[in-house]
Amino acid sequence: MPPARVEADLALEDAARANSGIRLMVIAVVAVPLLFALSGLAIRYAAFVSLSADPSLTAYARALCRWDCKWYVDLSEQGYERFPIPNHNNIGRWGFFPLYPMLVAAIRSVLPFPTIVIATMASVACGYASCLVAWPLLEKNVRAYVLYCAFLLSGPFSFYFATFMTEPLFVLVTSCLFLALKRSNYLAAGLSCALLSATRLVGVLAVFAIVIRMFEEHRQMGGSAIAFPRWLLSRPDLIIAILISPAGLFAYTLFLHVTVGDGFAFAHVQRAFGRVAGNPLLFVWDGLSYHPNASWLPTAPQWSAMAAIAGLALAGVLAVRRQYGAALFCALALILPLTTNLASMVRYVVGLAPLTMLTASLLSTSRLTFAAAVIALPVACYFMTIAWLGDYLALV
Amino acid sequence: MLWSEATRSAGPAVLLAGYGLAAAFAAAELAILALALNPNVNDDYRAYYIDKTTTCLNRDTVGRYTPGRTVSFRSNSAREAIPMMVCGWDGPVADGTHSLGETSRLRLSLPSLPGDVLLATLEMAAVIRPPQLSQLVVISANGVRLHQAMLSGPAPTTVTFAIPRAAVPDTGILEMEFDYPDGIAQSPAASKIYNRSIKLLSFRLDAL
Repeated sequence: MPPARVEADLALEDAARANSGIRLMVIAVVAVPLLFALSGLAIRYAAFVSLSADPSLTAYARALCRWDCKWYVDLSEQGYERFPIPNHNNIGRWGFFPLYPMLVAAIRSVLPFPTIVIATMASVACGYASCLVAWPLLEKNVRAYVLYCAFLLSGPFSFYFATFMTEPLFVLVTSCLFLALKRSNYLAAGLSCALLSATRLVGVLAVFAIVIRMFEEHRQMGGSAIAFPRWLLSRPDLIIAILISPAGLFAYTLFLHVTVGDGFAFAHVQRAFGRVAGNPLLFVWDGLSYHPNASWLPTAPQWSAMAAIAGLALAGVLAVRRQYGAALFCALALILPLTTNLASMVRYVVGLAPLTMLTASLLSTSRLTFAAAVIALPVACYFMTIAWLGDYLALV
Repeated sequence: MLWSEATRSAGPAVLLAGYGLAAAFAAAELAILALALNPNVNDDYRAYYIDKTTTCLNRDTVGRYTPGRTVSFRSNSAREAIPMMVCGWDGPVADGTHSLGETSRLRLSLPSLPGDVLLATLEMAAVIRPPQLSQLVVISANGVRLHQAMLSGPAPTTVTFAIPRAAVPDTGILEMEFDYPDGIAQSPAASKIYNRSIKLLSFRLDAL
């Protein structure tokens, strides 16, 4: 055989091997979250069956729907109330942002299933898609990816991503936003932020991450800090990306002004939930020191306070790793709700994708922590699902 | 090619269009902000949600009541009481209807205007949490302060006071307000809308 032919054959073999390697990787990236989605479903279902006499899947979906989930079901089915609120109620649904309930309502218009079943499927799909988007964000680190998928879909808080809460969509869109920023696609990041701001109020805070990434890019190109505003003003595409970021929040504000007469009804209605503005440090301290009984187990306020501290500490680690945009976004997204009280703090921390991705990366650095986490996450999923089904207050 | 890349190497027309779009976004957002800063709401909404001057959100409800009858506020017999409860109440439950917040209101429609004076008889119990063992209740009717009662201990107390004809408007709608200056907060950081003060067990008016 002539040498040229041999070389060509070897090159083809290399290319084929590379192709099959890529194909295997793609299959793994797609299959890992699928496996965890299925195992998560099985574990949560097992926890549900251990408590319920009715083993049907609809009963399972209904049982997982607790706390805010019920508000979102009503919102998706009935929309927002005007004022006065029917049934002599003080609490309008205005505090719950519209994007995810609208999405579920849109799917319901074409699928003949109850709202909670559709929302459950949509949430798992969002969780699955979040994992796929996280692959490049985790720098294609296989171990971190496996842990992240396990956490989101089979982990101790996976029930948030398997029922009607805003977290599944929030995590997905947050991941899309940071992927767009990683690729310096500011318009996509701005559009993601607009969607995020229509999903939860704190979503709008991601605009700071966008501006910080723009600033970093400007500095990488050799621009001075003082010249940043002028550089920004010379780029209408960047200005549009910033201005489009709060579009979801503004659209909702306009809707509330037209229907209720108060564009800030989403904030004002918090009074009816008993939320009072205060010092976040005091709320955390009060939570930490709340231990009225002799049990060694932390109380729900203590768990909430510890979750807030852990979340802020992880935001600090992001800052140390020079991920300033993500750090600021996460810190603000925790501090803002902390100014009213500790309610839902565990869920808010779990719903911040940069924090959970960071945790997955940190745990994946050693084989031992990786192996321990891969085993512990599904085991914790079972017991935390039981706690969730038992209305454990810290998980609100 | 991304649009952002296009604008970087764009001619003046594309840049101008970009600035125009940015200006449109900014103008729309400012306009919405201006609308949101000027809410178009009624006084009840403003007082409860925005100014936070009351914990009792007025509701459009009125209970029909004929003097001489005792109305129960316990869960097993509160059918007549429920339409009277405007706001600031939680329940009814077995031991009565609990006050919620700094103020509670009852609104009732009288079939005919009282001749001279109505005698109100209320059975109430204080919500106590040691060291606080009593509750002060200030009762008004249609804005006229009528009575103040100090309820001590958990046992129900019967409170009696007169409602002058002048406190009942010609519409025959009697609006009674209960203010609780000593309400018990759930916790130091908790909202006042959850303050607890009294349990109302029964209500009665008699024409004198």
